[in-house]
Amino acid sequence: MNSSVTPFDFQGCLAACARGDRSALQALYDHEGSRLLGVVRRIVRDDAMAEDIVHDAFIRIWTRATSFDATRGSARGWIYSINRHLALNAVRDSRQETTLDDADIVTLVGEFDEGAIWSGSAKIYRCLEQLQPAPQRCVLHAYVDGCSHAEIASLMGAPLGTVKAWIKRSLEALRECMT
Amino acid sequence: MTPGSTDDPSQLLDVLAGEYVLGTLSAEQRAAVLARLDREPDLRAAVDRWEARLLELTTLAEPQRPSTRLWRRIDRSISEQARQVHPTSRWWKRLGLWQGVSAAGLAATVLLSLALLTTRPATTHYLVVLVAPTDQVPGWVVQASDARTIALIPLGRDQVPEGMTLQFWTKGEQWQAPVSLGLVKPGEQYRVPLRDLPPLEPNQLFELTLEKAGGSPTGRPTGPVKFIGRSVKVI
Repeated sequence: MNSSVTPFDFQGCLAACARGDRSALQALYDHEGSRLLGVVRRIVRDDAMAEDIVHDAFIRIWTRATSFDATRGSARGWIYSINRHLALNAVRDSRQETTLDDADIVTLVGEFDEGAIWSGSAKIYRCLEQLQPAPQRCVLHAYVDGCSHAEIASLMGAPLGTVKAWIKRSLEALRECMT
Repeated sequence: MTPGSTDDPSQLLDVLAGEYVLGTLSAEQRAAVLARLDREPDLRAAVDRWEARLLELTTLAEPQRPSTRLWRRIDRSISEQARQVHPTSRWWKRLGLWQGVSAAGLAATVLLSLALLTTRPATTHYLVVLVAPTDQVPGWVVQASDARTIALIPLGRDQVPEGMTLQFWTKGEQWQAPVSLGLVKPGEQYRVPLRDLPPLEPNQLFELTLEKAGGSPTGRPTGPVKFIGRSVKVI
């Protein structure tokens, strides 16, 4: 599911949105909508809620396009972070900690262990590979599945404190590796 | 529990930023980080770095085709917002009420807003720190202690190239585009009546852009953003 993406001018698109060009927002939706919905759906685990969040995210992209600041990061990153953080806010506000249905988690263990997913060329994958399997899964369950510390602990059958320490150490190692 | 290193405050800040981006913080912790982002450039820069580092992990989520309704909903919501942004006669009436308030009282409110915070809790006060987008250094403070006047107060003296000027803009969350609040001289306090704008709101954007002398010819910001910030409600 990675690569082979036709180049899309995210920054130009935001600039057009800032000028009030609604076709630019639609172009963004047509190009990136299903990937954004996929990211949000994975975190909130509910189709209707995921669409609500992508709806809100697009409104926010539209109204805040003028405040996008390219010196702070990429336009694509800005768009994804709006979607992810709205999704995370929604699950942290509503989801009961620890009520985790394993069936909801799309057999992540196997999926993340397949070498195939590391085919992504991004540096983050090479750095993740250097982590031990358990801390590595913590990072992925958190970022990709939107799991809280407690959810990861119950998913992995590990004590909460251990999970917190794994994540903290993983972040330190990733930062070191990526600089 | 973690061996070594994590006692360093910058390290702690970086782990906090990393956990914020990873998503493992609780709702309260997330809200606390969000509130700090506007006033703590170091934290914001750390968050920005983590967003960039982890972004490619989003490709691990399988894309999902949206329902046919979704774009129509987005499109409709934007049309509705556009209608709401245009000022209606209702708030002109409200403006009439504001104009009844004594000008001297207003000036005093602006000057003494901090002191008045405790004595007049019913009034909404706003504060904005404008920072340079490049190095996050605060350059100006916007202070509004009533809904119709704001003061832009310099914290230092900026260098503006010859033939250029700083232009002051604002934009509410639901507005289509920023609105000019006028031209600003570096190092000088500037006061703006907000009579042609809706009342201030939380998270309203303020910015200073560098424009050709005389101001932006288009009525929209065209030059680089020199300082930027969002309003926070002060209780």
